[in-house]
Amino acid sequence: MKYAPFFGCMISVKYPQMEASVRKTMANLGVELVDLEGFSCCPDPIYFKAADKLTWMTLAARNICIAEEAGLDLVTMCSGCTATLSEANFHLKHDPELKEKVNQRLKKIGKEYKGNVSVRHIVTVLRDDLGIEKVKSSVKKPLNLKVAIHYGCHLLKPSEIMRVDDPDHPTILERLFEVAGAETIKHEKQVLCCGKACTHEEIPEKMTYDVLSSIKKSGADFMGLICPTCFDEFDLGQINLSRKFSVDLKVPIIYYFQFLGLSQGLSPEDVGLHLHKTKADEMLKKIS
Amino acid sequence: MKLVNFKFRHKLNTIIGGEAHNFCYQCGACVGDCPAALYSPAFNPRNILLEALLGDEESLVGPDSVIWDCTNCNTCYERCPQAVRPVEVIIALKNISFEKGTNPPGVKSILDSVKESGRTVKTSSLSDRRRKELGLKEISIVPLEELKKLLE
Repeated sequence: MKYAPFFGCMISVKYPQMEASVRKTMANLGVELVDLEGFSCCPDPIYFKAADKLTWMTLAARNICIAEEAGLDLVTMCSGCTATLSEANFHLKHDPELKEKVNQRLKKIGKEYKGNVSVRHIVTVLRDDLGIEKVKSSVKKPLNLKVAIHYGCHLLKPSEIMRVDDPDHPTILERLFEVAGAETIKHEKQVLCCGKACTHEEIPEKMTYDVLSSIKKSGADFMGLICPTCFDEFDLGQINLSRKFSVDLKVPIIYYFQFLGLSQGLSPEDVGLHLHKTKADEMLKKIS
Repeated sequence: MKLVNFKFRHKLNTIIGGEAHNFCYQCGACVGDCPAALYSPAFNPRNILLEALLGDEESLVGPDSVIWDCTNCNTCYERCPQAVRPVEVIIALKNISFEKGTNPPGVKSILDSVKESGRTVKTSSLSDRRRKELGLKEISIVPLEELKKLLE
């Protein structure tokens, strides 16, 4: 099984612990990630797209072209990159006029978008290509912890493009956390957005606070997620919230592949848990 | 009574995803599950679509437009029975705002960062060191000359 990984900016630069945990866990599962040269930012589906959709789509198409030239499907680990590359791929495949416009631009750099590869979020590779049982077979030490899942928005929606799961009643992350030993705990704000894209910071602040409080109330040991932007908002954001509102939230935020890595026998340092702003010490004590 | 500004609506029609605003019949399905509407009474996707139908340029793409509080969560895209994809209409409006220079400064800084470094988050000696400590390869180089040609 071979894929071209697209790690994007947030993961490779700001949260390399996510890249490390993806690489290590996928190697344990026998998946080959073939690194291709020349990728740029996906580009960012919030601000870059807000500036100019056509240029946004052109840069996304350029990234897809690199995978097409190698004949490999793109695998993304960041919900933002997933959104940009999946949306661009979808629209360019379905709208010949748009494709023509974008290809006119790509001609300047000698590239042509053809539309013959797929963009996949890596969790769908685990569920659909490897299969949940195969993931389970890589688990050496099931981690008996309670997880409250935060899906984030762009893994699931728009569902006509993403085709990952039912956007209102998803199960994919529950299944993946459960095979690594976790018990999934429902919480009130399970499908609330992290709010990161709003310009006025009071909105994301309130949303983040509500999500974290809902998790705190649920009795979960940690929040499990798959998006570095949500991670940013909840891990670092939690420190700011605690200061601003004098509350003690202390909800560790764990990226799925860090959790899978721990269950495969990797150490907390191997998956970079020491780099998190909200420390996971209490949670780690329970499994040591 | 407000007169419809068709010139603005025609402009909106030219942006990717903007044309669908014509199909909005104001049912309000986009409002109920909108997180921004829940947290900010000023934000209401149905109202934004109504203003788009009226072509209310000043309110939609003026300097203090409420469109920038959209969370981009895509829930309205799911709910809309008319395939208006309100979030995409809002982003098309943001494109017009950017053209007019009424956008928040964050948009320009992300664009500049991609132009200068090919990334939204720039590398630093700290990020290089962290990658090394985690056993990762050096970060790959972005061909900036190619990007420059596409961003001209």
